[in-house]
Amino acid sequence: MSLNPIEQAQGLRIRSQQDMAAGLFMVVLGVFAFLLSSDLPLGSLRQIGPGMLPKSFAVICAGLGVMLSLASLRFNGEKLTGWAWRGVFLVLGGACLFGLAIRGFDIGPIHIPQLGLLVAGPLVILISGLAADDMKWKELIIFAIAMTTACALLFKYALSLPIPLAPWLLGI
Amino acid sequence: MRKLTLGLAAAITIAFAGGVQAQTYPTRPVTMIVPFAAGGPTDIIARIVADHMSKTLGQQLVIENVAGAGGTTGIARAITAAPDGYTIAMGHLGTFSAAPATYPGLKYDPINGMQAIGLAGGTPILIVARKTFEPKDLKEFVTYVKANSEKVNEAHAGLGSVSWTTCTLLKAQLGVPKINAVAYRGTGPALNDLVSGQVDFMCDQIVSVAEQVKAGNIKAYAIASKQRSPALPDVPTTAEAGLPEYQIEAWNGIAGPKGLPKDVVDRLVAALDKALNDEGTKKRLLELGTVMPTAEERTPAGFAALIKRDADRLSPALSAAPK
Amino acid sequence: MDMIANLTLGFGVALSLQNLALCFAGCFIGTLIGVLPGVGPIATIAILLPITFGVDPVGALIMLAGIYYGAQYGGSTTAILVNIPGEATSVVTTLDGHQMAKQGRAGVALGVAALGSFFAGCVATVFIAALGAPLTKLALLFGPAEYFSLMVMGLCFAVVLARGSILKAFCMIMLGLLLSTVGTDLETGQERLTFGFPPLSDGIDFAVLAMGVFGFAEVLRNLENPEARDVVKAKIGRLLPNWSEIKQSINPVLRGTFIGGILGILPGNGAVLGPFASYTIEKKIAKDPSRFGRGAIEGVAGPESANNAGAQTAFIPLLTLGIPPNAVMALMVGAMTIHGIIPGPQVMTKNPELFWGMIASMWIGNLMLVIINLPLVGVWVKLLQVPYRLMFPAILIFCCIGIYSVNNQPVDVAFTAMFGLFGYLLIKLGFEPAPMLLGFVLGKLLEEKMRQALIISRGSFMTFIERPISAGLLIVAVVVLAIALLPSISKKRDEVFVE
Repeated sequence: MSLNPIEQAQGLRIRSQQDMAAGLFMVVLGVFAFLLSSDLPLGSLRQIGPGMLPKSFAVICAGLGVMLSLASLRFNGEKLTGWAWRGVFLVLGGACLFGLAIRGFDIGPIHIPQLGLLVAGPLVILISGLAADDMKWKELIIFAIAMTTACALLFKYALSLPIPLAPWLLGI
Repeated sequence: MRKLTLGLAAAITIAFAGGVQAQTYPTRPVTMIVPFAAGGPTDIIARIVADHMSKTLGQQLVIENVAGAGGTTGIARAITAAPDGYTIAMGHLGTFSAAPATYPGLKYDPINGMQAIGLAGGTPILIVARKTFEPKDLKEFVTYVKANSEKVNEAHAGLGSVSWTTCTLLKAQLGVPKINAVAYRGTGPALNDLVSGQVDFMCDQIVSVAEQVKAGNIKAYAIASKQRSPALPDVPTTAEAGLPEYQIEAWNGIAGPKGLPKDVVDRLVAALDKALNDEGTKKRLLELGTVMPTAEERTPAGFAALIKRDADRLSPALSAAPK
Repeated sequence: MDMIANLTLGFGVALSLQNLALCFAGCFIGTLIGVLPGVGPIATIAILLPITFGVDPVGALIMLAGIYYGAQYGGSTTAILVNIPGEATSVVTTLDGHQMAKQGRAGVALGVAALGSFFAGCVATVFIAALGAPLTKLALLFGPAEYFSLMVMGLCFAVVLARGSILKAFCMIMLGLLLSTVGTDLETGQERLTFGFPPLSDGIDFAVLAMGVFGFAEVLRNLENPEARDVVKAKIGRLLPNWSEIKQSINPVLRGTFIGGILGILPGNGAVLGPFASYTIEKKIAKDPSRFGRGAIEGVAGPESANNAGAQTAFIPLLTLGIPPNAVMALMVGAMTIHGIIPGPQVMTKNPELFWGMIASMWIGNLMLVIINLPLVGVWVKLLQVPYRLMFPAILIFCCIGIYSVNNQPVDVAFTAMFGLFGYLLIKLGFEPAPMLLGFVLGKLLEEKMRQALIISRGSFMTFIERPISAGLLIVAVVVLAIALLPSISKKRDEVFVE
C-alpha cells in the first residue's frame, strides 16, 4: 500500500481516486451537517444543549475526511468506477412510486389518489423489473400479478397489516 | 390457526361486500389511529375498546399505530382526513390538551378544529420516588423539594410525554419549575433508573408504576385523583396528603375530523358507550387502574369540555417550562 | 432443588395441547415475519394481540414470545440469503453469512445459524430458570454513566469489526452517530438536522436506514455486476455442516451464547451489542483474521448464538423486574397488561404457572424452531435459484410493504430509496456500511445516557471514571481499541520494510 522511493520522489499527486472522493464526501457531509446545526445551542457540560453532539460529530466527520483525502495522496488505492444510472433510476424510482401510490399523496398542486397495494405492487415490480438486462415482458407481467396477489394475501389477510388494497375499487 | 383462517375468510367476504353497496355507516373497516407505538397505555386502551366497538358497528375497527412527535403526527393525520367517519383517532391528555402549549407549530386545533367523540378512560397519576429518598410523605416531599431544588433530580419520559406534562404542572404549582429534569426515552428506562436510585422522583400513570410500588421498589407519595385507587388502596390522594390543587388525570379519548356527519358521531358514541358498559371490557379496563368515564364524559360535548378545561389548566405551566 | 420443581410446573403448563399449539403458531409466524424484510416482531405482536384475547394469558404470552424469538431465527435467513438485516441484531450476520451464500455454502450457513441458535436458546432457558432472579440485580447496577461507557465500548468493537481501512471504518461510525442525532431533541424538543421536514422529526427509522443501505443498495450493486449474483444461484451446497465445520463452530457458539446472554440482561437494548461483541472476539482470537468478511463460519456461528441468547435473556428484566429492556419487551408489557397481569416483581410469586410456563415454553419453542427451520433451509436455498431478474423485484416489493408497515408512513418508502442511493454511493467510495449501522443504533443511547449522566453529576465528567463498572468498561474499550490499532500500525511498518 505504501510507496517505494521512486514513487515517493514523484511528489504529491492523487494516488487513490476512490479515497480522495471519499474524503471529500466526508468533508462535504460534515460541513453541511455543521451548517444545518449552526443555530442549535451547544449548552454547557452541566446541561448539554441539543447542538453539542451533532456539531461535534460533524466536525469529526469533516476532520476524518481531510485525513482520508491526505492519505489518498500518500497511498495507492482503487480508482472510481462508473455508475449504473439505469438501475438506480428504475429501482429507486419504482420504490418511490410505490410510496406515492400506496395511500395517495399531495405534492403542491399535484394530487395522487389513494391507489393501494393492487396498483402500487405491480407498479414497483414492472418498473424495477426493467432494470434487468435479461428482462422478458410476458414473464414480468405474470410475475407482477402473481406477486401482488401473494403479497395481498400474506400481508393483508394472514398477517392482518393495515395496508390499503384498492380503496377506489374495493373500499379497503 | 383456525382463527386466522376464519378471520381470513371473513375479511375477504367483507372486502367484496364493502365495494358493492353503500348503505348505513359503516360499510367498510374503520381506521382508528393510535398516535403512539404499540403496547403503551393508550394503545392498550384503544385495542380493548376497539375490540368491542367492532362488534357493535358490524365492521372491523382497525388500529393503525402512527407514532411521532409526542403523538401529534398521528392525530394530525386523523383530524385532517376526510370527515367520512372512516378515520378516527384515540388520543390522550397530551395530544388533545397539552399539545398546543407544548408544540408551538402544531398543525391542528384540538379545541375548535376537531370533533370530540367521547372519553374512553382515565388513568390516575402518581407521584413516586426512589425508596431511599428522604421525605416520608407528600408534605415532607414538598418542603424538601423546595429547600433542595438544586440537589433533586426528576425523571420523565421525554418532552410531551404524560410524565413530562404532569410533572411540569406539579413543579409549576410547587414554584420550582427549574428542577433538574433527566429525560428518558419512555417510561421503562426512567422507571429502571428510579428503582436503582439514580434519580429521585417522577410522576407517571398508575398502570406503569403500581407493581413497583406494591413490591416496595419505589414509594408513592400520593395519587392525583379525587378517590384512592383500588389498585393501590394505601396511597393517599393529593387532597388527603395536603396538596389538593394537584389534580390531574391522563385520560384517553376518541376524536375525529371536524365536520363528521351527525349520524356517524351518534353511531360511534353509542358503540363506545356500549363497549364501556360491557362487563368483559370494563373488567379489562379496571384491571389497568382505569377510571371509568361518567355518562357526561362519554358524550362529545362532555369530552370537548374536558379537553378545554385541561388545556386551560396546563398551558401556563407548559408554555413557561424550560424546553 | 426448587428449580427442578419449578421447571416441572413450567413443563406441565407448557406441554398442554393448547399451549403447544400456540407455541408452534408463534414460532411459525415469527419465522415467517423474520424472513420477510421490514415486517418485524413489533408490528406483528401488536396486530396479533387481539387474536389472543380469547385464550388464557399464559397461552397468549407463550405465543407472543414465540413470535419474538422465532423472528430472530427467520431474520438470519434474510441476512444470509439476500444481505438484508431485518433487525439490528442481524447486521453482523450479513458480513460472513452472505459471503458464505455467495460461495455456494448458503445451506451450511443457515444450518449453523439454526443449530447455534438452538444451542444458545437451550442454555439461555436454563440460565433464566436458574439465575433469573439474582441476575436482575445486574440490570440495576447500570445507571446512565455505566451505560454510556458500555456504548463507548460497543463503538470500539465496531472499529475491530472493520474490514479494510480502519480510517474508513471510523468515518462510517461517525457518520452513523451523526445520522442518529437527526430528529427532535429529547430534552428541548428542538428539531435537529430535519430541514424542517415533519417526517424527519422523529429521526430516521432503523428499518429505513438498514433496508436502504443494505437492501436497495445491494440490489443496485448486483444489477451492476451480473457475475456476482450468478455465483449465488450456481451452487446450493449441503444443509448440514460437516464434522470439521462443527468443530470450527463449537467454541464460537459457546462464547457467543455467554456474551449474548449477559448483554441481553442489560436494560436499554444491551442485546444489540451481543452479536457485535461476539464477532469482534471471534475475529480477534482467530488464527487468520483475514478470513472474516470472506465467509468465515465462526462469523456466523458466534453472532447468531449471541443474538438468540440475548433475545431470550432479555425476558429476565421483564419477568423479574417488570421493566422492559427494549421495544419488543415494552410490547410484551402491553400484552401482559391487556391480559390483566401487570408485569412486576411479583409475577414470579403471584403467577408461578405463567413465569415457569413461559420459560419452559421457550425451550420447547427452540426445539420447534429447529424442526420448522431445518427442512425449510432447503426451501430458502431453492429460492436462490430463482433468476435474479425476478428475485430483485420480489425483494423490492417485500421491502416496500415492510417499510410502509413499520409506521404506516408512505414517505418512509421514499426515504429508503434515498438511503439506497446513499448506500450505493458509499459502496462506490469503498465504504463498508456495517459500522455505520452500529454507530446509528448506539448513537441515540450514547447521547441520551451521556446527557443523563452529566445532568445527574452536575456536569462532572469524572462520573464516568469514579464509578467502578463504568471505569472498567472504559478500560476494556481502550484495550480493544489499542489491540485493533496496533497491528495496523505495525503492519504498515512491515510493508515499508518489505518494499
